[in-house]
Amino acid sequence: MSNDTLTHSVTFTEAPAALTVVVDPTPQIARGSAVIVERRRPKAAGWSLLQGLGVVVDHWRKSFRKLDDPTQIAGTFTTEYPEERLPLPEAYRNMPILLFDDATGHELCTSCFQCQRICPPQVIHMTQAKDPETGKPVPAVSEFIIEYDACMSCGFCAEVCPFDAIKMDHDFELSTANHPSLTVHKAGLLRPVSYYQSIAPTFWAEAEASAYKKLEANKKRRPASIGIAPQMIEQVKAAHELRDDQQEADSPPAPVAIAPALDAGRAATPATASAAPAASDGDLPTDKAARLAAIRARNEAKKAAEQAAPAQAQPAAEGAATALTTPDAPLTDALPAASERTAPPAPATPDAPLDEKAARLAAIRARNAAKKAAQAEEE
Amino acid sequence: MITTDELQINIGPQHPSTHGVFRMLLTVDGETVVHLEPVFGYLHRNHEQLAEVNTYLQNMPYTDRLDYFNSMANNHAYALAVEKLAGIEVPERAEYIRVLMVELTRILNHAGALGFMINDMGAWQTPLAFGIREREKILDLFELVSGARMMCNYFRFGGVVRDIPDEFIPRMKKLMIAMPAYMDELERLLRENEILLARSEGIGILPREVAVSYGVTGPVLRGSGIAYDIRKAEPYSIYDRFDFDVPVGSVGDVYDRFLVRIEEMRQSRRILEQIIEQLPDASGGHINPKARQNVRPPVGDAYARVESPKGELGFYLVSDGGTKPYRYKVRAPSFINLTPLGDMCRGYKVADIVVILGSIDIVMGEVDR
Ligand code: SF4
Ligand code: SF4
Repeated sequence: MSNDTLTHSVTFTEAPAALTVVVDPTPQIARGSAVIVERRRPKAAGWSLLQGLGVVVDHWRKSFRKLDDPTQIAGTFTTEYPEERLPLPEAYRNMPILLFDDATGHELCTSCFQCQRICPPQVIHMTQAKDPETGKPVPAVSEFIIEYDACMSCGFCAEVCPFDAIKMDHDFELSTANHPSLTVHKAGLLRPVSYYQSIAPTFWAEAEASAYKKLEANKKRRPASIGIAPQMIEQVKAAHELRDDQQEADSPPAPVAIAPALDAGRAATPATASAAPAASDGDLPTDKAARLAAIRARNEAKKAAEQAAPAQAQPAAEGAATALTTPDAPLTDALPAASERTAPPAPATPDAPLDEKAARLAAIRARNAAKKAAQAEEE
Repeated sequence: MITTDELQINIGPQHPSTHGVFRMLLTVDGETVVHLEPVFGYLHRNHEQLAEVNTYLQNMPYTDRLDYFNSMANNHAYALAVEKLAGIEVPERAEYIRVLMVELTRILNHAGALGFMINDMGAWQTPLAFGIREREKILDLFELVSGARMMCNYFRFGGVVRDIPDEFIPRMKKLMIAMPAYMDELERLLRENEILLARSEGIGILPREVAVSYGVTGPVLRGSGIAYDIRKAEPYSIYDRFDFDVPVGSVGDVYDRFLVRIEEMRQSRRILEQIIEQLPDASGGHINPKARQNVRPPVGDAYARVESPKGELGFYLVSDGGTKPYRYKVRAPSFINLTPLGDMCRGYKVADIVVILGSIDIVMGEVDR
């Protein structure tokens, strides 16, 4: 090439000339001013390097102790995952799951297509269930698919669901070499309500009443075998047989007592083993105590509301264990949640349910606080 | 006489310090850059067209993914645009929560950006690790309120998705104690550091006229000596209620941008302090209960802009009266701040251009959309 290209050679590599850009004393700024940042020079050669080194050495020195005070910045605050885990906040969202009722195995989903419609990447697919006799659609899903690999964890599905049937799970360890397994079908999506309650107690407490009310209404519109979580079908069948046997034995028809049968099923569902409120979680005594307190508080409220059935509140308050171990216990209220639903509709004073809800929330808060205190003690 | 030739080389599209998939077409004369042409588009994912087939609400999580460092600020700009279009009111408390999140975002962005910039200078990892450490604490707070660390999807039309939980403010107060310590430490570590001065002073000068003519905004523009901050120039949300200063540089080089960002972190902390003070008295809830999320704005258009940590982030929406935007346009600060890169680099050494690029603070997710 010619020498012309050299004429490009540069004039302002020696920058100092350009360093004298003038700043115009800047415009009127409401509630503040424009401040010109101060360009400092080191006091003596090498001084600032030593100063910087001091910062690093200070960190090194402090790195030998564990830091759990968030107001400090030096120290080690690494969590040794997977041995240690950070507690996940209730709001944490990873992948959506579907819920079914522990007590009856009924799925909460009614196939209303709201979540499918809102899902931004369109990864939810479902088929509405049909009545096998009439062929008419019923409020239940026969198949429900979420493509976990394309879900963006936005949480919209859980937000729009009017039946609280779809919720965001906390499980984030989903990596797999088997890609097709990330297209999850209904059986893989379903979790018992008690599991969700264990990961997000306050959220569920807020949704619980309306969710169960709606479920009750929907169950009436479903034929018997429709809308039962696949993993629960066996247990539900067994429970129904048990009930039939009981009915033959003694005439007063008792509401379904399937909780004992479900207990076995819960043990078989790994995710829920620790989650079910009624299951034996002796490892968390404070937790259990708090939960009992919650049940008691609720029963107090209920008692005040309905004087008619005082006998019923008592077994529930005694704790779920008794109900579970006696297979022929009448009117099983094994699960705190279940107790509420199977209770006869109370002609309550209008503010009673509110009190009850407040009491439950208070109990949950107390339990969370207790758990935190216990954790702090352990550390 | 020895004759020399100019040489054209590519840096990128996958150079580790290019902050994403980005290519720089360099013409060099020895070590000196004669011409630089930024080439982008490798991360194009049809964001704007996609937004036109989604409903207004469905676009909210996609805005998280523009500048994935600052999802809260992106949410804010988009929510403001839709609210302007559909005429939705935001309760006072929601405004406070929004500003709180956005100012936290600014601190975490600058902590990260400074770390990455210094990383580009060759201070391998230590300052970056300090920045990431602070950013991490803020991300934990975001997780607490929104459920996700980075893809927050926290804003809704007329407010935010849920109120901040009880433990949020106490945790944040603790963090507020740690923040100045971090900022002081960063200054002690680097502000007068001779190596940093040698690598940044007088490097990548962007004169104010050039900056203005390119439409540069954010810390890059302020580094060039122009006190233009949308929070002051056109206060949106409730920014007119807070006292804070606008730091500006005097030279417009890399060093000024570094200093401006540190000062901006301090000013953001000042705003946060005022928010904590005023939040309990704010009226209203976290969301306007009357606001419908499946909005159907009247025919018309709206442009809303915020001072995102990187500059002016604006959303332009055109509605045809339907449930989906007829046109959706993002004015991305990273993209516009990147265009004068050629001017900023001309005449400097090849080793300087990564530093200059780092000082602009770009996120390719926003540049290419
Ligand atoms: S979380 Fe979002 S992306 Fe995932 S299934 Fe739900 S709506 Fe779809
Ligand atoms: S999960 Fe909820 S929103 Fe989705 S179809 Fe079922 S009931 Fe409707």
